[in-house]
Amino acid sequence: MSAQSNRTWDRRSILRAAAGLAVAAPLAACGSNNGRGGGSGSGKRLTQMFHAYGEPGVEQALKRYAAAYKKADVATQWITSADYESKLFATLLTDNAPDVFEFHPQIQMVKSGQVADLSDIVDPVKADFNAADIKSHTVDGKIYGVRMIDDPQFFFYRPSLFEKAGVKVPETLDELIEAAAKLTTGKMKGVYLGNDLHSIVNPLIWSAGADTLDDKNRIAYHTPGVIEGLKKLRGLFASGHLLLGAPTDFWDPSSLSQGLCAIQFCGMWAMPQFQQALGDDLGIFPFPKTVDSGKPSVYNGGWSMFVNAKGDNVDAAKEYVKWLWVDQKQYQEDFATSYGFHIPPRSSIAAAATKLKSGLPAQGVKLFNDYGHFDNIGWTQAMIQATWDVIADCVRKDGDPEAALDTCDKAVTRELKKLFG
Amino acid sequence: MSTTTKPALTGPAPAKAAPARTWRGLRGSRTFNFWLFVSPFLAGLIIFIYVPIGWSVYLSFFDARFTVTPSNFIGFDNYTYMLTDPKFVHSLGTFTVFAAFIVPTTWAVSLGLALLVNRLRFMRAFFRSVFFLPTACSYVAASLIWKMSLFSGVRFGLMNTVLGWFGIDDIAWLASPDPPWYWLVIVSARLWLQSGFYMILFLAALQNIPAELYEAAAIDGARPGWQTFRHITLPQLRATSTAVVLLLLVAAYQAFDEFYNLLDKTTWGRPPLVELYYTALGTEQDYGAGSAGAVILTALIVVVTLFQGRIMGFGRGEESK
Amino acid sequence: MTTKRRGGVMGNTGLCIATGVAAFLFLVPFYVLLRNALSTDARITGEHWEFFPTHLQWGNIGELFDDPSVPFARSLLNSLVVAVSMTAGILLVCSLAGYALARIPYRHANKIFYVVLGTLMVPTSVTFVPSFVLVSSLGWVDSYRGLIIPGLFSGFTCFLFRQYFLGFPKELEEAARVDGLGYWGAYWRVVVPNSLNFFAAIATITFINGWNAFLWPLVIGQDPNSWTVQVALSSYITNQTVVFHQIFMAAAISILPLLFVFLFLQRWLVQGIAQTGIKG
Repeated sequence: MSAQSNRTWDRRSILRAAAGLAVAAPLAACGSNNGRGGGSGSGKRLTQMFHAYGEPGVEQALKRYAAAYKKADVATQWITSADYESKLFATLLTDNAPDVFEFHPQIQMVKSGQVADLSDIVDPVKADFNAADIKSHTVDGKIYGVRMIDDPQFFFYRPSLFEKAGVKVPETLDELIEAAAKLTTGKMKGVYLGNDLHSIVNPLIWSAGADTLDDKNRIAYHTPGVIEGLKKLRGLFASGHLLLGAPTDFWDPSSLSQGLCAIQFCGMWAMPQFQQALGDDLGIFPFPKTVDSGKPSVYNGGWSMFVNAKGDNVDAAKEYVKWLWVDQKQYQEDFATSYGFHIPPRSSIAAAATKLKSGLPAQGVKLFNDYGHFDNIGWTQAMIQATWDVIADCVRKDGDPEAALDTCDKAVTRELKKLFG
Repeated sequence: MSTTTKPALTGPAPAKAAPARTWRGLRGSRTFNFWLFVSPFLAGLIIFIYVPIGWSVYLSFFDARFTVTPSNFIGFDNYTYMLTDPKFVHSLGTFTVFAAFIVPTTWAVSLGLALLVNRLRFMRAFFRSVFFLPTACSYVAASLIWKMSLFSGVRFGLMNTVLGWFGIDDIAWLASPDPPWYWLVIVSARLWLQSGFYMILFLAALQNIPAELYEAAAIDGARPGWQTFRHITLPQLRATSTAVVLLLLVAAYQAFDEFYNLLDKTTWGRPPLVELYYTALGTEQDYGAGSAGAVILTALIVVVTLFQGRIMGFGRGEESK
Repeated sequence: MTTKRRGGVMGNTGLCIATGVAAFLFLVPFYVLLRNALSTDARITGEHWEFFPTHLQWGNIGELFDDPSVPFARSLLNSLVVAVSMTAGILLVCSLAGYALARIPYRHANKIFYVVLGTLMVPTSVTFVPSFVLVSSLGWVDSYRGLIIPGLFSGFTCFLFRQYFLGFPKELEEAARVDGLGYWGAYWRVVVPNSLNFFAAIATITFINGWNAFLWPLVIGQDPNSWTVQVALSSYITNQTVVFHQIFMAAAISILPLLFVFLFLQRWLVQGIAQTGIKG
């Protein structure tokens, strides 16, 4: 710029310089706008990425744990968008990829070399973990993630409303649909399954006696029972007894606690908030039998910690994960029971978690044990997406379930071929 | 940035190195000046528009999932995948439906508003501002207002509240595709956002119509109102109307914001850009298929534009200059 | 001149009613926005529609900026930086090129012009996937560079400048030439100062577009710290937990700067739209 001011140009040169500055200044400063200094090799800076938990206090808790870690400076990325998967996947491609992130076990992350082998830090405490959680994170004998929390998902309802409408706890999908009809009033819908109904896809499949994939990673969801279930669901969707277009999705307790519906599909995590809003007027039940030959089911979702194998600080990241999610049991218990309710995947912690020992939380644990289905690591995001489209095509839209499942088969087969050949 | 504009800002710098005489010669040289003025822009244009298009053509022949530097050449697989993907094909249909809704309604509403404002005798600036003000809002802000309050599917949405006064049940405007109320939501949001903009165009054109035309028509016995509108106003607005329709079409091609924000995880109501976004940057991270889609879309648009140009003689005037 | 023409023979009442109804409909969304921004959530989601909060919750503003989990202030700053830099950059780069294409005779000028025209056929947003690929391999994701630079080379704006300069009076330039100025000097001392209205019009429109842009910032802004205000707003729409008054207050604040632009720069804006819109 000084070269210019030497010249005897008129005042407009100042204007020009200002314009140039306006463009150049922020650009010059932009290298350091993300709060991370790269720090390649030093191992002193780590980034961890989480989806935004709805329960108050979780973000602060995670930051508190991170601050207590002495060997590295851990920054937290808190993704408020509901589209956590997309944000995570896109970020992993960039220079800003987190070193440590939470996700669900999915095999494509292993196959593409995205997540690091954590066997060495999990193996010593393997026996303390829920065997199903270990299984769902294992590929060819190696363990790729550390389970932090297990989150069973089931229905919450208000017994007082059931009593008033003369409804008993539904044991089949038909009974649920019937109950929804009886519970619907001018101001309140019978049941809420989330705006896009995605959360109940897996329970619907399991409760029909089917599964997502079988042991040999072949399609197992395309059965007459599932088709029947989809048809019933379509009936419910079109009946006017299903809450649609609610401002919050299924994971948020608002719909039931604000009186928009009488039954809501949600998860164990929201139990404290439900109890706070509704007191004792609260009960839970599993996803009922889709068809008579089926069994009730509960999706044991949850979140696990993974280490970005393509990051610059793999070893430091592994060390951090070991410190927080293997060694620091008091933090793990705090995380599982102080904010929302989650079931600790480690038996030693679960045994000590007094909050989950009695009352409704204990019932939740029982559903988890009796009816729970865990993640299948072979069931990847692209396949999940394909089943979401089934719901969109033949439940939310009046399409043919058979055709929708055929479309789904194509997408799932394409994915299976890529993963398993 | 700095690298591309510096030559422009410090253009005279070569004077230091070269003898004054050469500089004077250069300064007068048309070729030198042309490049001095054009090169920053042209370099940027090539780097940020032509190179990406080329790169995406390259990517479209590879299996590029979770990577942008792929190694697995798969020929035309991505193209066959996209062209047989019902979602992508649907998205083209969605665009057509959307354009069929939005172009005529926006045209009519903005022309109507312009006629109203043009005839006002008082508070004209006020009303013009009222209709123009929504242009200040972003599509995201409008989507938020529409989704969370106006067309919220529950009882405290404004539309459902108003319908409730007449004893009509709550309608889930966005959650259920049949009846396709979501079109009402999307079209009304876009109308609100852009009508004011096109109203300004029509207003400017209306004010350019010579008053004598109307006077002459009155002498010929044409009744003010429909007749003069039909025979004088409309024909006089033809150029503006054509421009407005073209602009509306271009805007419709690029529809993304409100669809993305209003319709969550659906298989319907997705225009091409939304579909591409989910293919390439969604959970599948399929840059190969996404690039193939972008190439197909680009080709389609180029063909349509050239075709349009043929019909409307657009751009021919440019060549002669 | 315009009011004279119709004489207002008939339909005056109808005219007033139609205008009033239309204006009412256009203002409803603003009303809803303000009402929700200044209410409590309990009032918003209550059994009955409350027409306007009896107690205005001005504290909602402070609450929004105090909430650490919502990087809203940061996103406002990002939007400001992006919109201002884009405006300045586009004006500079596109006007220079537009001027050369219109006024500097050069053998291959036509070919260059075709290169520019070629980009007009394809709306830039259509190529966002390839652009993202390029920008991410430059390592520009989550940075101002990535947000701003790829958007500076607008073929359309260059085209508008060219059209404008084609109509710029030649005599002025020739006078400058007589004074011994080269193209560069004449451009800055004569052409630009006499085109400030046009520059202001383009600047206003570019600023609005920069502030309201969504797709590109969404693609580039992976890290919440690099979100623009539109991306932040969008994340609230699909957020895990919904706090109505906060969301609507954020939307209201995001619109505020542009309302100022509209109030104070409406002259240029209207002029700009009338000039550039038609030419497009």
